[in-house]
Amino acid sequence: MDNQRILTIENLHAYFYARSKQAFIRSVDNVSFEIHQGQTLGMVGESGSGKSVTALSVMGLVQGSPGVISGAIRFHTPDGPLNLLHGIDRHVQLKRHNGRIMTVIKAARPWEKRLQRRMKGIRGSQLAMIFQDPRSAMNPFSTIGRQITETILRNTAISSRKEARDKTLAWLEQVRIDAPKIRYHNNPHGLSGGMCQRAMIAMALAAEPTLLIADEPTTGLDATIQSRIVALMGQIKSRLGLTTLLISHDIDVIRQLSDRVAVMYGGTVLENGPVDAVLDPAAAPKHPYTAALLASVPDRRLIKKKGVLKAIKGDVLDTINTPKGCRFYPRCRQYHGKIVAACVNQEPPLSPVAQGHAVRCWLFEPINSG
Amino acid sequence: MPRAILDVEHVKKSFGHPGRWWVPKGGFRQTIPAVDDVSFFIRPNETLGLVGETGCGKTTIGRAILKLTPLDQGRIVFDNVDITAMPPKQFRPLRRRMQMIFQDLDAALNPKMRIRSILKEAICVHHRLTDSEIEQRTRELLEQVNLKKSKLSNYPGELSGGEKRRVGIARSLAVGAEFLVADEPTSALDVSIQAQVVNLMRTLQSELGLSYLFISHDLRIVELISHKVAVMYLGKIVEMGMAGSIADAPRHPYSHILWSSLVDKRSREGMSEFTCEREQNRGNFRDRETRSLGCRFAPRCPVFLDKGCPRECTSPETAPELRDIGGGHKVACHFPL
Repeated sequence: MDNQRILTIENLHAYFYARSKQAFIRSVDNVSFEIHQGQTLGMVGESGSGKSVTALSVMGLVQGSPGVISGAIRFHTPDGPLNLLHGIDRHVQLKRHNGRIMTVIKAARPWEKRLQRRMKGIRGSQLAMIFQDPRSAMNPFSTIGRQITETILRNTAISSRKEARDKTLAWLEQVRIDAPKIRYHNNPHGLSGGMCQRAMIAMALAAEPTLLIADEPTTGLDATIQSRIVALMGQIKSRLGLTTLLISHDIDVIRQLSDRVAVMYGGTVLENGPVDAVLDPAAAPKHPYTAALLASVPDRRLIKKKGVLKAIKGDVLDTINTPKGCRFYPRCRQYHGKIVAACVNQEPPLSPVAQGHAVRCWLFEPINSG
Repeated sequence: MPRAILDVEHVKKSFGHPGRWWVPKGGFRQTIPAVDDVSFFIRPNETLGLVGETGCGKTTIGRAILKLTPLDQGRIVFDNVDITAMPPKQFRPLRRRMQMIFQDLDAALNPKMRIRSILKEAICVHHRLTDSEIEQRTRELLEQVNLKKSKLSNYPGELSGGEKRRVGIARSLAVGAEFLVADEPTSALDVSIQAQVVNLMRTLQSELGLSYLFISHDLRIVELISHKVAVMYLGKIVEMGMAGSIADAPRHPYSHILWSSLVDKRSREGMSEFTCEREQNRGNFRDRETRSLGCRFAPRCPVFLDKGCPRECTSPETAPELRDIGGGHKVACHFPL
């Protein structure tokens, strides 16, 4: 690879203990991927597939202990890679069976403090996040201008308040908020949803981060405003060359903004590859889940014919009792026709099917990547 | 041509300004017209899709039809009976035939009742039935909405979004509804589950002959499920016609922007900076208090600007009315595209 790696995630697990069920909710179950410099990785999947928890783990914001986090999140700084989860294994004892965590003997409580200390210098300045709901992510008692100024003073070399203020106005202009001088003094609830989302983007970008994590930046906005936010993010991407982890359940948004896509299901990545290969309905090597997901979005021809949508039968995976074999096989359409014994018994590995394209399915012949 | 099952005539509804409870002496209470002179009709076994941005009055119309919100002006005729000022006792038998599928699943289903009791309550409220009849009816309903029988003893909190939506639909059907107001039934659902719900609603329509008022902001789903589509902007219907013809060739500038935002999103290259920039520099959507007289869309309208801000768009006397431009396609614009 010619590009430099920015973030590498290896075998990330994040479990939450559900006391009422006396069991672990496997929100993120063995996720691995990497993001290169200047690249946008789109993460697509249904609700409850572990997209947000993956993002929050990177930010060190996972709450709700006693839970488990294990694996490695390597953030590549100029001084070399930094494992954000370094040392966690000493604090968590897990009982594994065939590589899968079965029981937790000791949870990660004392380690949490250490993580927070480590995150202090990175979060905000090098890792920034755009949250799904901008109104609840911003301080309702402070104006958006003050909040952005604070971000700049804290995370960049600028130390004079006046300079930071000018910079804030420039950023507000950059994200196309009209009359930034007036909006500077608005509280978050004084702005419309789309504008608040823009202010949130400005705040994330103001710290000039290395990696931007956008968690459902367009969900809950109207169609016209949504398309404007997408256009804005596209412009920012091409202008600043920012490395982004984009999370969305809207396939169109992912298709438009990302270079690579990771399809999540039930806490793991089922398919990972370039956006044109994965999200093009006509392209050939594809996980059955990705194909089914694409088919359930109505396309032009289907609407014209008033045809029946191809829904995926069944419900989103129960992440407490994940099946022993492939996660998707209970819902897999190919289950009825083409199925191998391994689908039921053993979880398939994420194996490469083409250059830079990997699929977690037993029905594909892996190529020899040699 | 069959008679309309529902006729909405010149309905108006305004709400008081939320921020001002005290009115100065000699002043006036500022009101927000949520729905302003809206008329449409729905024939039996037909779906009318209602689209528009947040706050344009879609939900208010739905609630007004079911008499959940009192009207200021206008008439609602359901099956040739004027229900606008009907006393509740008389309205009760009609209520059975018109039901609502609410937007917020968690608020609509009582979290402390099991699914069995939720359905039982709906079945019993209008009919006097024996236990075995109730059991039978419950089983029928579950079959109609493809819900597993084992879910009956669950609480709503234990169900997934799609299942809760099915329970909501089953509950509306339990009383024997013919006309359903579906308020954003797919908005909180994932694409795969959304497809299941849309398919279910269409199957039920063909099996039971239901009519829907389908409120949504998802243009593709609306186009798929509806026969007719009405586009709303700030309380007024700006365009109405057959679903296919509006989607293919929207004539009102606002509908055009709506549908082109969909196209923008789909293709990578086709991001049109034109509509984005234009709308940016013009007023904001939420400025209801300072909005223009005359055509409401004028401050955001690209055509209005291209024509050099003509007077007929902004003067209150010549506000554009909904007029037929052929083929049952109606547009409220002086300069349809």
